[in-house]
Amino acid sequence: MMLSKLKLFAFAVFVACSSSFALIDTISVDVGIAVSNTMPIGLVPFEQEADFEAISSKLDEVLKRDFELSGRFSVVESPTFKMVTFVRGGAKFYVTGKLQKAEGSKVKLSCYLYATQTKDLVLGEAYKVAQKDVRAALHDFVDKVVKQLWGEFGVASTELAWVSKVDGVKQIVVADYDGYNRRQLTHDTTISMMPAWTKDNNSIIYVSFRNGKAQLFERELYTSKERRLFPNKSQTFSPAVNPKTGEVLFAAIHGNTTTVYLGDPNSGANHKVMYGRASQVSPSWSPFGTEILYTSDRGGSPQIFVMGKDGSDARRVTFMGNYNERASWSPQGDRIVYTSMDGGKMNIYTCAIDGSDIVQLTSNAGNNEHPTWSPDGMLIAFSSDRSGSHQIYIMRKDGTNVTRITNSGDNTAPTWSWYSPERQKQISIQNEGW
Amino acid sequence: MKKILLLTISAATAFAIVACSKNKPPVNPVVKEEPAAVSAEDSAAAAKAKADSLEKARLEAERLEAERLEAERARVEKLINELMSDDVYFDFDKSELTEKAKEILTQVGDILLKEPRFVIVVEGHTDARGTEDYNMTLGSKRAMKVKEFLAAYGVGNDRMETVSYGKEKPKAAGENEEAYAQNRRANFKVNIKK
Repeated sequence: MMLSKLKLFAFAVFVACSSSFALIDTISVDVGIAVSNTMPIGLVPFEQEADFEAISSKLDEVLKRDFELSGRFSVVESPTFKMVTFVRGGAKFYVTGKLQKAEGSKVKLSCYLYATQTKDLVLGEAYKVAQKDVRAALHDFVDKVVKQLWGEFGVASTELAWVSKVDGVKQIVVADYDGYNRRQLTHDTTISMMPAWTKDNNSIIYVSFRNGKAQLFERELYTSKERRLFPNKSQTFSPAVNPKTGEVLFAAIHGNTTTVYLGDPNSGANHKVMYGRASQVSPSWSPFGTEILYTSDRGGSPQIFVMGKDGSDARRVTFMGNYNERASWSPQGDRIVYTSMDGGKMNIYTCAIDGSDIVQLTSNAGNNEHPTWSPDGMLIAFSSDRSGSHQIYIMRKDGTNVTRITNSGDNTAPTWSWYSPERQKQISIQNEGW
Repeated sequence: MKKILLLTISAATAFAIVACSKNKPPVNPVVKEEPAAVSAEDSAAAAKAKADSLEKARLEAERLEAERLEAERARVEKLINELMSDDVYFDFDKSELTEKAKEILTQVGDILLKEPRFVIVVEGHTDARGTEDYNMTLGSKRAMKVKEFLAAYGVGNDRMETVSYGKEKPKAAGENEEAYAQNRRANFKVNIKK
């Protein structure tokens, strides 16, 4: 791990020094090391009215899990406020709150962020919510704390879609990013797979075999309205949504080869991005939607390439190993994550856009695949069979702090949602302000 | 698929028989009423004998036709079973046809040339290793290689469709080379052109 940190640092220095690297649409250079330097934060259990034991017993756990999953904080716990404990733990801030009865069946949740030394109130939020939405309110507060202390958006209110086997059939499910509040989206007797979020987070584009072959469908999350995408292609899969325009990259089998197409899901119009005799699959957008990562077997084995949105300037990214697939561009734009097969085992790697500075994130723990970035680029969700069955995990982008978020069944291919302020309004959180 | 086909065939046979038996009632009443109209006993007996022998011949023809249909059905079923069990296997991450595969495909080609009513779907599959996405392309390449071979053998392209299932429909369970080898395959679905 030390080695990879050094490499990351070396990369940062390299990027900072080389001006010719500006061909990528965006680079925000993370100093790399910051990832494992989490910020200690104090946590004092919430005060609660006796009526709410059922919920309140979990409040601190929810916050603790959010903070630790975020990749930004490490939690210093204390049953009451203790200056010594917090100072010794390096916690310059601490969080606490209270839960009270409100009118009807609602509850009032008050959350506070204090400065440890001065006991100044840094941030206070009050939520009047139904009991089932307390968890969503806590997620919202964590994101506000992230914004306050890091000046960035957190991911505690984001969601994941993934593939789960229900009675032996692969179905699409959607859940909060921490694995809770899971809902089954498809109920088909045929296979559903490869979920991708539309730009507005309101629909899932996925592959269904209901017509006897792989075809893309779009299903709205809240209305269950559904339609087939790009019906002029008979077999379509590997959807990737442009985060800025909503355009969809996908792979289509046409004639003798599989090729990447670019299409407008609303009009259905689509065209081949790049001509060539080799297969192209697994497209992925750059953060600003100007470049495309994809896999090609033109060298005889699957390797990752990058090209412009118009198919120009294709160049190979991966050269190590003979099976590199499913690359995904980090939201910060500086690195890609991908899956590599070695000795029959799948593992997750990251590297710089030019293929340098390869860091192996998973090893010696079964198969690890389907990496997907959190929208803030701090985390990677993936699936692994390390426990004996396929489950979903979240880790930091440096491969540390691996946390399992599903416990049973067969869960694979997670896809992280985008940020979505509109979505948050729908959770019916009434933020009273302060 | 096989079951549906069998059902269709047996339904067709059943319909044929029902259709024949429906023709029968109008014949019999007429024959029976004739003796009453013609008062001579011996001519009545002769007519009856003639009717009986006609009936016998007709029944015999019917029986032969049913037997022929049954034999045809059995023959077609046997061919279809043969096609459906003619799986073609591939090497890891390869879509090139092995010698063994080509041997099987010539048999498949022979059947298809003999039975021009058969239209097929070639399904390409991979083993469990690798990503879903790349395996979709690999399955498609395998199905396509099979189609190309059969086309070169003389089977019309319009009679063949290719579909890739990637790693989604394994034939054998398990994470060992034995299961992998069983799953790296192309197989056939057969339909009968109307």
